[in-house]
Amino acid sequence: MRFLSFVVFNALETLLRLSPFPCKTGLIKIGNTGKDSPVFLTCNFHLTVQRVKRALKRMDAFLLVANSRGINVWCAAAGGHLTNHEVISVLKTSGIEDLVAQKKIILPQLAAPGVEANIIKQKTGWRVIWGPVNAKDIPHFLKNNLKKTKVMSGIAFPWTQRLEMAIAWAFFLSVILSLIMIFFWPKSVFALILLVWGLSFIIFLSFPLYSRFMSSEGKKIGSFFSKIRRMSFQLLLWIGIVVALSAHNVLAEDFSWGVVLRWSIISFVVIIILSFDLAGSTPTFRGGLLAEKQLEVVLDKKDCRGAGFCEQVCPRNCFEVDKIEHTASMIGRERCIQCGACIVQCPFDALHFESLEGEKTPPEIIRKFKLNLLGSRLKKSG
Amino acid sequence: MSTYILMKILESAPKRYDLGIRLLTRGRLDKIYDRLASRIKEEDKVLDIGCGTGALSLRAAQQGGTVKGIDINSQMLEIAKIRADKLNLDQKIEFGEMGVAELDREEADSYDAVMSGLFFSELAEDELSFSLREAKRILKPGGLLLVADEVRPDKVYKKIINGLRRLFFGAVVFIFTQTTTRALKNLPEKISGSGFEIESIKLNRGENFIELIARKP
Repeated sequence: MRFLSFVVFNALETLLRLSPFPCKTGLIKIGNTGKDSPVFLTCNFHLTVQRVKRALKRMDAFLLVANSRGINVWCAAAGGHLTNHEVISVLKTSGIEDLVAQKKIILPQLAAPGVEANIIKQKTGWRVIWGPVNAKDIPHFLKNNLKKTKVMSGIAFPWTQRLEMAIAWAFFLSVILSLIMIFFWPKSVFALILLVWGLSFIIFLSFPLYSRFMSSEGKKIGSFFSKIRRMSFQLLLWIGIVVALSAHNVLAEDFSWGVVLRWSIISFVVIIILSFDLAGSTPTFRGGLLAEKQLEVVLDKKDCRGAGFCEQVCPRNCFEVDKIEHTASMIGRERCIQCGACIVQCPFDALHFESLEGEKTPPEIIRKFKLNLLGSRLKKSG
Repeated sequence: MSTYILMKILESAPKRYDLGIRLLTRGRLDKIYDRLASRIKEEDKVLDIGCGTGALSLRAAQQGGTVKGIDINSQMLEIAKIRADKLNLDQKIEFGEMGVAELDREEADSYDAVMSGLFFSELAEDELSFSLREAKRILKPGGLLLVADEVRPDKVYKKIINGLRRLFFGAVVFIFTQTTTRALKNLPEKISGSGFEIESIKLNRGENFIELIARKP
């Protein structure tokens, strides 16, 4: 029964994946909890809570659900909905402080762009431990004495997640486009829905085939279509559709330019919408639309003392810390997706954002002002 | 007044927030805030929880109170500070980025009034009871709790009308900001349950907006 509801919720909320789904915040006890049970924290996106609970089901643990307004951990952290305040709030108001002996809390690593570990410690006495990116790695993480492997701290875009994004986009887009089409061409709504779902699956599932052309190393990143090479896959896809459409019409001996033209235009629009900021729909590429994604993370060697928080929170494993020399280096700069987690967590302010023109965004601004929906933040302070 | 849900759109664009709220409420909220702030006396020490762009804080300071306004939205606080400067009230108001969970750092029996406008409805259940507990602790005996907020109507037909309006506005807001507001349930009961004596309650015609004054015994 439990499994069934898990499946149903997963299916439903995958369809509506692009919108937030708030659930109850506060404390959840899993198994037989005691004074020494580990304490985990997550956001109040319903699907996330379901998945974390599932990952913890054979354990005795406390799970704190912070009020991220129903938004997933990463987006909420970057957008200012999962910050120090939400974490402090759930620590103080849920009653957890009376239930455990040690003040140690395991946060999802992807909360690092929004939550400052040292402020949490300062204001509440709780020590933050950065857990794995994916909830399913939690059991392994605990067995490994709260140490993460590279795999646990890196994000990828495996087929399961690509499927999720394909479904989420297909559902959203087919609803919107159908609502428009129903007025102009009602008898084609069903065909349109098929087209949207088909294209969405093709574009997302075949992502690894063409993603290497999207590499952005050292170049100014515009939107997806700023470079002809980057859109070649989508262009081929579209030409394929137009050719198939014409061929079908010719073979059916019912050739009409009107139909071919109309469907060519519709499929072009669908492909453009799906690919416009495709990079931004993936966790492994920087989007072209958001202003901040044009920035570079810069490490000031002179301020770095090798504390290593950057290495713990970077979801792209960009950093390597030399424990003897006490210094970090950015070994994977080309993988960076500008999430800003390293900048927020560095206790010595050794990291900052810099634009191509050399304009700096210092750490205090990145900590204070989070991204709005257009991916920019308030620049000034005080 | 379900249009308050629209404030979520505005909240993500703090610069347009005040104009938007004024348009949405056609000035009604201004009047409600004026009435609440009129209870502040010269030299009163006032705390404004969830002050946002400072609508209540500024009014309380204009009444002569010494105000501390707290909010977790740093962008809104920036605007609140600028507004206080413009009105030459910056000496009377101190704004701080602080959530309700940090109220336990405030001294007991130290405030003459605690006010909160359109904020309690943003809190989770645990947070609301924590806030009310702390508000009672930090108020002086006889101190006032002044609240203006969105609530759920009691009458069934008003509930339905309100629900439909929220459904419509909710959808619009969801598209723009991917978020929504909630209306408070049983607010007067919760406030009296936290040990306050309720002095007056005023509901609007739609019974979805409350103006409440309570006192610490």
